[in-house]
Amino acid sequence: MLRRIAGSLFWAARYLERAQWRARLVDVNYHLLLEVPPRDADPWEPLVQITAEQDLFAAKHSHAEEASVIDFFVFDRENRSSIRSCIEAVRANLSTLRHLISSELWVAVNRLYLEVQGWSAQALAAAGVSNFFAELNRHFFTLEGIIVNTMPRDLTYDVIELGAMLERPDNVSRLLDVKYHYLLPRLEDIGGPADLRQWAAVLRSASAFEAFRRCYGNAIRVSRVVAILVFDPEFPRSIRFCIERAAEALERISAREESPGTSTAACAELVAMLRDGDADTVINSGLHEFLIDAERRCAKLANHVFDRYMAIE
Amino acid sequence: MDAQRAGSAVPGLRAAIAEAQPFNEMFDSQGRSRPECARVIAYLLALGSGRLAELGERAHRMFRTTGVTFNVYGDHEAGERIFPFDPIPRIISAAMWAELEAGLIQRARALNAFVADIYTEAQIVKDGIIPRDLIVGSSQFRHAARGILPSGGIYITVAGIDLVRGADGRFHVLEDNVRTPSGVSYVIENRRIMTRLMPELIRGLRVSSVENYPAYLLAALREIAPSGIDDPTVAVLTPGPFNSAFFEHVFLSQQLGVELVEGRDLVCVDHKLHMKTVHGLRRIDVLYRRIDDDFLDPVVFRPDSMLGVAGLTAVLRAGNATLANAIGTGVADDKGVYAYTPAMIRYYLGESALLPIVETHLLRDPDVRQAVLRDLDRYVVKPTCASGGYGVIIGPHATDEELAQSRKRIEAAPANFIAQPLFPLSVHPTLTGETVDGKPAMAPRHVDLRPFVLLGAKPRVLSGGLTRVALREGSLIVNSSQGGGSKDTWVLEE
Repeated sequence: MLRRIAGSLFWAARYLERAQWRARLVDVNYHLLLEVPPRDADPWEPLVQITAEQDLFAAKHSHAEEASVIDFFVFDRENRSSIRSCIEAVRANLSTLRHLISSELWVAVNRLYLEVQGWSAQALAAAGVSNFFAELNRHFFTLEGIIVNTMPRDLTYDVIELGAMLERPDNVSRLLDVKYHYLLPRLEDIGGPADLRQWAAVLRSASAFEAFRRCYGNAIRVSRVVAILVFDPEFPRSIRFCIERAAEALERISAREESPGTSTAACAELVAMLRDGDADTVINSGLHEFLIDAERRCAKLANHVFDRYMAIE
Repeated sequence: MDAQRAGSAVPGLRAAIAEAQPFNEMFDSQGRSRPECARVIAYLLALGSGRLAELGERAHRMFRTTGVTFNVYGDHEAGERIFPFDPIPRIISAAMWAELEAGLIQRARALNAFVADIYTEAQIVKDGIIPRDLIVGSSQFRHAARGILPSGGIYITVAGIDLVRGADGRFHVLEDNVRTPSGVSYVIENRRIMTRLMPELIRGLRVSSVENYPAYLLAALREIAPSGIDDPTVAVLTPGPFNSAFFEHVFLSQQLGVELVEGRDLVCVDHKLHMKTVHGLRRIDVLYRRIDDDFLDPVVFRPDSMLGVAGLTAVLRAGNATLANAIGTGVADDKGVYAYTPAMIRYYLGESALLPIVETHLLRDPDVRQAVLRDLDRYVVKPTCASGGYGVIIGPHATDEELAQSRKRIEAAPANFIAQPLFPLSVHPTLTGETVDGKPAMAPRHVDLRPFVLLGAKPRVLSGGLTRVALREGSLIVNSSQGGGSKDTWVLEE
């Protein structure tokens, strides 16, 4: 596989993953605010806070409210991480490597892309936020299903896996961080009904609600949410699960080299940090710091992988 | 007004100017179905134009969802477009196709022999068959091509030869495309769509398959690999996603099962060509390039080109890779050289041309020029080096201003232009996109045909080719870049 093409595929996988998380984030926040009127002045502000694009948002909008955040997260082409930008990037990248993917995957991506071309705030309002995101989610799950069921488990698949599994932890981490630090800053509210509803929303936006129930029953506690979203070895949307899959994909890629082994080491530290850690300890010593550290290591690993296998200059 | 014109000194010029009734591909002059079209016509009549138009819309949707598109140059807003598709197929009988196939192979072999000759001995020039200055004066002549000897003597691996059918129904060659002819992906995609729209008709008629083209192309490319390489690595070179034919580049690499490379993926080391892969450099033995000569190698051609790879020409000269098509083949599709192709076929093959060409006047000749300029509004004037229909002026349809500009350009650089009498392109029933009495209308529209010929260890021809149709009433311009559409072309088996 060409290095440039590997890079395109890697980023296509990342953008696809990112688009999904952006969609969940907006969707869940919207529904959270439906039931109980928000107490904070800007209940949409935390969403902006957790992305890497807050400066761009500030430059374009005076404050965060439903309309501006939805526009920025969903439609805005200037925001490279908006859902529309992500989907357009996925399609642009895949259009150059159609020979590596199944025609089913290409057609499904192209259909989504064509749908995105017709998107507007009016169209979203007409469909209703719930329907809009439900439809979008169906697209995403279809795409993932096609990838899993039509792509041979070769280098191509490993690159996709690597992209998705290195993108996902960042999103999980930011999601946790926003709840932990921005949504409910007052200590006296912890454990209250609003707090629990918010944690349930976090679990839902990670598609983790039912998995959580199965592991822990009804009682939502911070440490359990952190356990399932960060340290769980089996839940596919936990940070540990993702990093272990990324490590395995990297190992397979590296095994095909003439002198294997050099790049798997970069992963080992991060894997160890997640295998050895536990929720209570991390919460006591500072969840935010832990998450920031994990995000940083993850980004470093992604850069390393890109330079090692994909950069062409 | 004719007193002066009657004195025209150039023989044969006058007779050809008369406009003739175009040949209808489906019906004879009495309105009867042509025999090879009878079953299709019966099918279309039973279907009705409303249902047919629905099939056309379905085809459009299928092209859209599968991303079969082309980009329009200089039009960033328009971006990707669907090549308009007409669901009424164009039929070619088995007997007619056998004749065409023989003529196409003959022509491709002669053009290849010509390119091989002029970049080595130039015997055809020494023997006085073609004037030397016509060749070296061509904008497509490449000095750098001298000294590169492609494996097997194949310079033109892929040729797209544009045919038009005259008033008498006879196919003529309108122009040759032996640089990077495009359109074959639409042939295959059109068929894919038509097998869904009209499956029972296609099966009943025994339509010759086009699906083998990618296998043919890959075989030809492998056959021209440098000798001694058992299992050559082939790659397709594209200028990138902004090129108008990018879809085709992707399509071909996908169908061939080879990498689609850009210049930045390549590197020449020790006079060998490599691509940068995830697991290190990998040799390329045959490069099917879809970029022009000028952009191939900044060391030899345009130094500002980012699309090619430095050192490629040296690799080719060392015989360590083969380029398809070779550097400098464009000299053979120069429209001035075109006038000499019948002589070329006689010279290299000792045969007379099976496919006639359209009467062509080289405006470099002062007498010819004078005669043509006198009647400019009756000629089609073409630049000798351009393709894609760019710069063509159709005298009878041109405004006075366009004619005056054309005259000025010809006088400034006469060698850059040729003139042809207006050739009455055949017409074919086509959905017009309009409705009459509430029903979608059909009307005759002008068509051409671009078959594809491959030269490798042996010649191979794709059955049929790309039928392009000028969708606007009366228009003779079929190019996709200028509002043309396409039809599926059905070569019937015996």
